[in-house]
Amino acid sequence: MKHLLWIPLLAVPFVVHDNVVLTILVFTFIAGILAVSFNLVFGFTGQLSLFHAAAFGLSAYATYLSMIHLGISFWLGMIVGVLFVTLISVVIGAICFRFNLRELYFAIVTLAFSELIRLVILNWNSFTNGSLGINFTLTPTLWVPGRGVIPVTGTLMWYYLSLVAVALAVFGYSRIVHSWMGRCFASIRLNDELADTLGIDVFRYKLVSFVAGNIGAAIAGSLYSFYISYIDPNYFSLDQSLAIIAMALLGGREFVAAPIVGALVLTALPHVINVNAEARLLIYGLILILTILLMPRGIVGLLARQRRAA
Amino acid sequence: MRQLSRSIGFIVVSIALASWTAAAGAQNVVKIGEIEAQTGPLNTYGWMSSQGMRMAVDEINKAGGFHVAGKTYKLELINPDTQGNPQQAVIQLKKMLEEDKVKYVFGPFLTNIFKGIEGYAKQHDGQFLLMGGATQIHYELGKPGNDYLMRTWNWDAGASGFGTLMVEYLRKKGVKKVAMLMQNDAFGHVAADIYREAFKSAGIGFEENWFEPGTKDYSAVLAKISAGKPDYLFPGYTDAVLYDIVQQATQLGLTKFWLVRGSLGPALKNKDYIDDYVAYIPKYFEEAEKSEPKVAKFIGDYKAFFKTKDFPYDQAPLCSSSCYDHVFMLVEAMKRAGTVDDVAKVKAALEGFTYDGLWKIRYDKTGEEIFNFDIVDVQKGGKISVTHEQPK
Amino acid sequence: MLQLVVGQLLNGIIVGTLYAIIALGVTLTFGITGIVNFALGAFMMLGAYVTWYLSDGAGVAYPIAVPLAVACIALLGLLVDQALFRFTRNNLINGLIVSIGLISVLVAVVLMIWTTTPQNMHYVLPGVFRVGGVIVPKMKAVVFVVLLLVILFTYGALTRTWAGRAAYAYAQKPEAAALMGVRTGVLQAGVAAYAAGLAGLGGGLYASLYSITPEIGSAYILKGVEAAILAGIGSIMGSFVGGIIIGVAEGVGSIFLPSAYNDAYGLVLLVLILLFKPAGLFANR
Repeated sequence: MKHLLWIPLLAVPFVVHDNVVLTILVFTFIAGILAVSFNLVFGFTGQLSLFHAAAFGLSAYATYLSMIHLGISFWLGMIVGVLFVTLISVVIGAICFRFNLRELYFAIVTLAFSELIRLVILNWNSFTNGSLGINFTLTPTLWVPGRGVIPVTGTLMWYYLSLVAVALAVFGYSRIVHSWMGRCFASIRLNDELADTLGIDVFRYKLVSFVAGNIGAAIAGSLYSFYISYIDPNYFSLDQSLAIIAMALLGGREFVAAPIVGALVLTALPHVINVNAEARLLIYGLILILTILLMPRGIVGLLARQRRAA
Repeated sequence: MRQLSRSIGFIVVSIALASWTAAAGAQNVVKIGEIEAQTGPLNTYGWMSSQGMRMAVDEINKAGGFHVAGKTYKLELINPDTQGNPQQAVIQLKKMLEEDKVKYVFGPFLTNIFKGIEGYAKQHDGQFLLMGGATQIHYELGKPGNDYLMRTWNWDAGASGFGTLMVEYLRKKGVKKVAMLMQNDAFGHVAADIYREAFKSAGIGFEENWFEPGTKDYSAVLAKISAGKPDYLFPGYTDAVLYDIVQQATQLGLTKFWLVRGSLGPALKNKDYIDDYVAYIPKYFEEAEKSEPKVAKFIGDYKAFFKTKDFPYDQAPLCSSSCYDHVFMLVEAMKRAGTVDDVAKVKAALEGFTYDGLWKIRYDKTGEEIFNFDIVDVQKGGKISVTHEQPK
Repeated sequence: MLQLVVGQLLNGIIVGTLYAIIALGVTLTFGITGIVNFALGAFMMLGAYVTWYLSDGAGVAYPIAVPLAVACIALLGLLVDQALFRFTRNNLINGLIVSIGLISVLVAVVLMIWTTTPQNMHYVLPGVFRVGGVIVPKMKAVVFVVLLLVILFTYGALTRTWAGRAAYAYAQKPEAAALMGVRTGVLQAGVAAYAAGLAGLGGGLYASLYSITPEIGSAYILKGVEAAILAGIGSIMGSFVGGIIIGVAEGVGSIFLPSAYNDAYGLVLLVLILLFKPAGLFANR
């Protein structure tokens, strides 16, 4: 049933011609990839990682810089970004999990690494242009049968690109979650010490989950930065990490695709309700508090429960 | 059935009426946009711009609008709040250009917003004008494909640069060595690049020191600077850091300050501990209120328009960018060009005259603003002297 | 050069005590309620704003404004604890997220009332002490003494009074303490209020030294958590030493390394400690 939801999304641009709405949807889909991949680590494996934004930013920088310095295409650049993030994730994850950092300490250490990386990017002016960020002069290109190689520009192309990306992400993570690996993640979430005694290699599965989640963030980073044609060290900020957490919480942690709902709400909200920055900060804080206390299963969880009850 | 057809009829008539009035309105209205951060931590510049523009638009419309090529037009201001968020700004600019069909957009002042919208804006080169104060705009002016771009703030360097004149002011005082203490961020580095050159040309020794944005305790770096005994300290570029730097510097024996951004607040708060505080202020409103009739009128109008007894003397100098004068100047340019739609002609007109409002404003041939300003010197005890500079 | 180092050593100790008072709040909250309350940074910021408002806006003398502000923030801490954190006891992740949400709420409220413009309190005690070429502002010395006294008082109260020892007992074995008659609910609420009060005190004193903006809390809570973890969560005097270590590392480090690395010292120390001595330097539990 839920797979059919994707079909109307394909048809949206034919009905809605408003470029602004489509743009919001592009941002939503890309943020959706971020939130869904984060949820693998947080919702399904129970580890609060504050490294997600760092993976997002690192891949963006790695993709663009490799394209500039190595002259490769966007898709190869994205692979470079993903590989780079995978490598760093393996190292950091290994450090954290080998030393058995749990819960709070894991969150703080991932935050520490994220901040350290941000400081490096911020100060390595010669390579990353520091706080000024980089304005992109390149665009991704696509090979289309009949037309050859065309650049991906314009809202319509980005809409379909991001839609395909988020659909693939959901599909990929769904496969993981519903496999035996996913069951190991779940047991780790429920009680990692117990899982250990049951013979599950906690270290390995935590690491796999962490890396797999960060790969999603990496893909999102490459896409987002090229859509907006600009990166700067703010990609790594704590605010970015917190926004991702809020999306996952708001959407719901139980279902793979649920965080996309959270992404939609948080991306579209400022354009639907015109509130000033301070009020928005207030609402954002209230969302975090109230979802934890009153709506721990998120919007989708709430709807699912109502449907089952009805 | 009757209910249904009546509803349909009602809807059809409403739509027809709405589009008719919209079309009718569209003939006589020139929409101008503003894309600034009006709320949020980075809103200092955007807030004042918004205040000034709203006043200008209201004043022009109340006077009956303006005439171009035989038609009378009114202005409509569209000014969403970017909140300092580039993603939001992109969406808002898209809405402005594609839905509202705006051709004249003021802003942004924030560099991160400009960088966020630059990609999209460039795609619409030739279809609109973007007139903002962001530092980064300076580097993009005059490049191919950037005809849409103009900068509504002056530049420190160059013959007409206010920085050049400020350095000259110091040189005349016989200063031999200046120590800079600047934010380690994009603008800080731009400032360092500009003033390194300027001080070198003036034969004044220049030492560079950096701090991270967010620092509150400067004792380490100030102690280091103080050991080198500079004549003047050239501290950071926002009031947020200046209060702390000036207080802590005076505690460590550094009592002379020279700066090119920020208000007089830090000087006045520490007036018993400083010896000399030389600041660049686009216009020292407290004094201008008494000596310039246009300024006095502006202040009176401001209080009436916003129904307040307080005038923001601290922020008012920022109205030299994308603000009150600029709306009037745009209207004047449209009159001279004889068109409200041909952006190329309007831009050429903008660059062809000097507007005399609160400031005397003109655009140089790259599209960058040049305007008159004040150098305000505060001495120990709070004695203030003002020098008026008119760049050539 | 020696002067510079000594100067930064002294300054680092003073600045470190500000970190320490927050660390103390963090450690107490964790020990008794089982969560790390990141909103302590926001409480500190509120303490600063309330003190400034009372002293510059309402004309209350500074030495009275500070205790008043502390009382207000302690009360706020109590209310927030009963309304929110009561439901996240011992649930680190939930507690963390709720506290982060609370930060946004508190910062937003302050922004709405006072905007982002930095506020400056009048100078309570201008002037400096000059000790052989090293300059120490008088107010900083006062802040140090006050914070040190409060930390010692807290230590004393926890080890010598009945309430304090009940708290220690609870921190070590909650069930046993409950059986012995310790009213856990009251204890937890009390500690929450006390920790908030400590943060408020830090803020009130901070206002006499630096300009205040709604964002000042975030740096301090991070350093506070770093100091608490460095020393070992649960150790009172350890938080004091932890704070000083970070303060001195930053101060002396900035003489030799570029300012860009200032925040990194705390982070690197934190990571190293967590990897090699996760219980902290002064682990006593």
